[in-house]
Amino acid sequence: MNSFAVIPSAAKRSRGIPSRNPTVFPRDPSTSLGMTGSRMAIVFCLFFGIASGAFAQAQADFAKANQAYAQGHFKEAIAAYETLVSARHWNANLFYDLGNAYFRTRDFGRAILNYERALALDQHHPEATANLQIARDESRALELQPTRLERYLQFASINQYSIAAEVAFWLGIFGIAALMFVRRRSAALVSLSILSLLVCAMAVWAIHTVDNGSKGRALAIVTGNDVQARLATADTANSVLALPAGSEIKILSTRGDWMYAALPNDLRGWIQTKNAKQVRL
Amino acid sequence: MQSRILLVALASIAVAEFAYADSPSVTAVLSNSEATVGETVELQIKVTGPGDARPPEEISIDGLEIHSTGTSRQFEIHNFSTNSSVTYNYTILPLRAGRFTIPPQTVQAGGKILRTPELALNVADAPGQQTKTRPGRSTQSQPTSAGDLVFAELVVPKKTAYVGEVVPVQIRMGFDARVHPRLTEPPDITGQGFTSQKLQQSSQNLETINGRPFEVVTFKTAIAAARAGKFEIGPVKAKAQVVVPRRRNAPRSRSPFDLFDLDDPFSDPFFSNPFAQFGERRDIQISSDPVALEVKPLPPNAPPSFSGAIGSFVMATDAKPKSLQVGDPITVTTTISGRGNFDRVNAPLLEDDRGWHKYPPSSKFKQDDEVGISGTKTFEMVISPNENKQNLPVLAFSYFDPAKEQYVTLQSEPMAIAVQGGAVAPVVAAQPPASSPATAARGRPPVPNSAKPQDILYQLTEPSRTVESFEPLYARRGFWAAQSLPLAAVLVFAGWKIRRARLDDREARRISALQHEAAELMHKLRRRDDASPQEYYAEASRVVRLKAALASRDRGVDPNTVDAETAAETFKLDTNSCDRLRRLFEQNDEWQYSGTHNGPERISPENRRDVLELIENLK
Repeated sequence: MNSFAVIPSAAKRSRGIPSRNPTVFPRDPSTSLGMTGSRMAIVFCLFFGIASGAFAQAQADFAKANQAYAQGHFKEAIAAYETLVSARHWNANLFYDLGNAYFRTRDFGRAILNYERALALDQHHPEATANLQIARDESRALELQPTRLERYLQFASINQYSIAAEVAFWLGIFGIAALMFVRRRSAALVSLSILSLLVCAMAVWAIHTVDNGSKGRALAIVTGNDVQARLATADTANSVLALPAGSEIKILSTRGDWMYAALPNDLRGWIQTKNAKQVRL
Repeated sequence: MQSRILLVALASIAVAEFAYADSPSVTAVLSNSEATVGETVELQIKVTGPGDARPPEEISIDGLEIHSTGTSRQFEIHNFSTNSSVTYNYTILPLRAGRFTIPPQTVQAGGKILRTPELALNVADAPGQQTKTRPGRSTQSQPTSAGDLVFAELVVPKKTAYVGEVVPVQIRMGFDARVHPRLTEPPDITGQGFTSQKLQQSSQNLETINGRPFEVVTFKTAIAAARAGKFEIGPVKAKAQVVVPRRRNAPRSRSPFDLFDLDDPFSDPFFSNPFAQFGERRDIQISSDPVALEVKPLPPNAPPSFSGAIGSFVMATDAKPKSLQVGDPITVTTTISGRGNFDRVNAPLLEDDRGWHKYPPSSKFKQDDEVGISGTKTFEMVISPNENKQNLPVLAFSYFDPAKEQYVTLQSEPMAIAVQGGAVAPVVAAQPPASSPATAARGRPPVPNSAKPQDILYQLTEPSRTVESFEPLYARRGFWAAQSLPLAAVLVFAGWKIRRARLDDREARRISALQHEAAELMHKLRRRDDASPQEYYAEASRVVRLKAALASRDRGVDPNTVDAETAAETFKLDTNSCDRLRRLFEQNDEWQYSGTHNGPERISPENRRDVLELIENLK
């Protein structure tokens, strides 16, 4: 179906006479929107250019923050790193460097928080692991003790478990589909299908256990100083545990400005929301 | 046998409990630290713990007359836990005014020598501020009134006190021994500007007042003024039920006790002959006179370690361990004992906490009297050295002594300790003391002493090429979008398989139909002798076509398209068979298309056998 664009005659427009027989130009049929291939290429180039420009800007900001850190201007470096974090240019090295900057300003709570974030993005970040240990020693931060099961399951990340579950699931589904259509059902095919689905189920269970465990999505770090976990949501309530900066807690629920959290030493208590930050953004 | 085992087990538990019982301890307490000349004060020395105890033989203090009044023993068993104590009672009669100190007394108990704490007694010249409303002539204006049978008095040993100072108060309530009293509402001290502790019933004894026997119940409490000024303490109010005689119109006889015309209500015949008529139970309100108390403010310039404690205290300090590594915890135990407002007694402060990491202290209080004025408060504080130290920091505790009217600061003796290991990074010393003792005990281990202060690793300047996400893979849209690929593959695979199965099924049905038709035709050819040559050759050639089509089933050959040459090629026949097959098809064509045949009207048996043999050999 042809579509048409209606443009008034140039001659009649020049005389100021309203057009009665408008000139009709057929729309370019090469694209549905009437956009030529070259135009599409231009749009694509523009999009790519903007994206690469933003990326280059982020790299420049990162370099600038590193320079400020090298010159000993740690607060400037922190501000620059935090700008990158706000712009969601997240990567493990950025959080690691931000943690280092906080460490230099003796803010061990936030240093530990950012090392934890680096490790959440890259579980095997050796520098973040080493500096996290040093920061914890300095602040005497308390850690949540994972269960033995969680310790075993943490040999792989949640993403790795997700991929394993996905591959095993589709292997199992293909196996079952094949079993439905072949005339001779071989024992090997049956075993492969069952094994694949079992692996998938175990991977899903591992994801659930790790994600809801002490190092899972509810993990938060105490960033305030002299933080007291209390029995109730009041500053005057009895203290359950004094939490040094950088201590780990697991958020169980929130109520207003307070959060109920699992604490180290198998305790539970209320902490003001402003005194702790969740690791996963 | 079982009962024996049970007995043995119980005996073992009892022995074990005795074996694990606490070591003996001794406390001493005065019933009142303020008294007037001639007013007796009780001294109790209580020895708790196993074993025999030997009390001090004689306590002699110039100006005080002290006599032993007896010994009482208590033995309690709670859940297999035994607790025994012996209390030695003394009465002290002050002979002159002044401040007396009862020095520590030596008591032998359980093979150990124990010493009581030092006690102070202030004796005033003038009589104490005692307000008594006792039955007497002046209060007998209401004849046979129940009020004559009871009295209440508020005993406040001091006229002046300081804000926050705990003043012991006694409430004495006397009931005529013959009225069978029953207290329906406990006494309550009315008044404003002070706080009072819960009333504790201290004793109940029989006293003779104005020649009449009274049951006197003594309650003890303590009050503390909240602000400076002049206050009235009391009056004390209580309600009781007593039995009084019924009123009669007839004049009553004189009681033998009422010798002096005291209008004794017990001259009523009810008391002389209880069975003559019944008395009546009547509710009465008991009230005492108020007592004036002047409260002075605390003097200014309180020391930094003053937390509001007022009284008289002594402090003892101990620490364990004394040999340790840098960062190891030391438990400092401070015991503050004496007499005063223990609720305001806080843990002593470290005079110099530089180089120390300290944790919030814990405390427990053990009171030596009913109202908690005397006792011992024990604080446990965990501290850890951040660097090499040779002494524990000095602990300071300040209180205000109302007797001396000045602030007193107690300091612990310097205690030597041995700390091994190098200094920890100064940053640690700057850390806020934010952990509790539990935290210290179960927190992270301290930095090893031999290790140098660690520095963090270098900055990573290499920018990452990718932007990462905290969102787990399974929660991302891309992950679920990617699942459409294997899902599509599964669907394509299943569709292909289903289509192929359907095609196979159709071919199988066609072959089955061909086989069925061929079998029926063969059956006819063998059995029917009366068939016309036209029918016979048509059926015979049809069987050949069917067999050829079945023989080449993979190619899907239509039987109607098979001719003699195709059939011969399919079955790879020799020349003779091929000729016979050709002749069969020619004869069939002749019969089908010409309608006549040059031969006979019927097929000879030889020809029939020949055709059958030819067809049956087609394999």
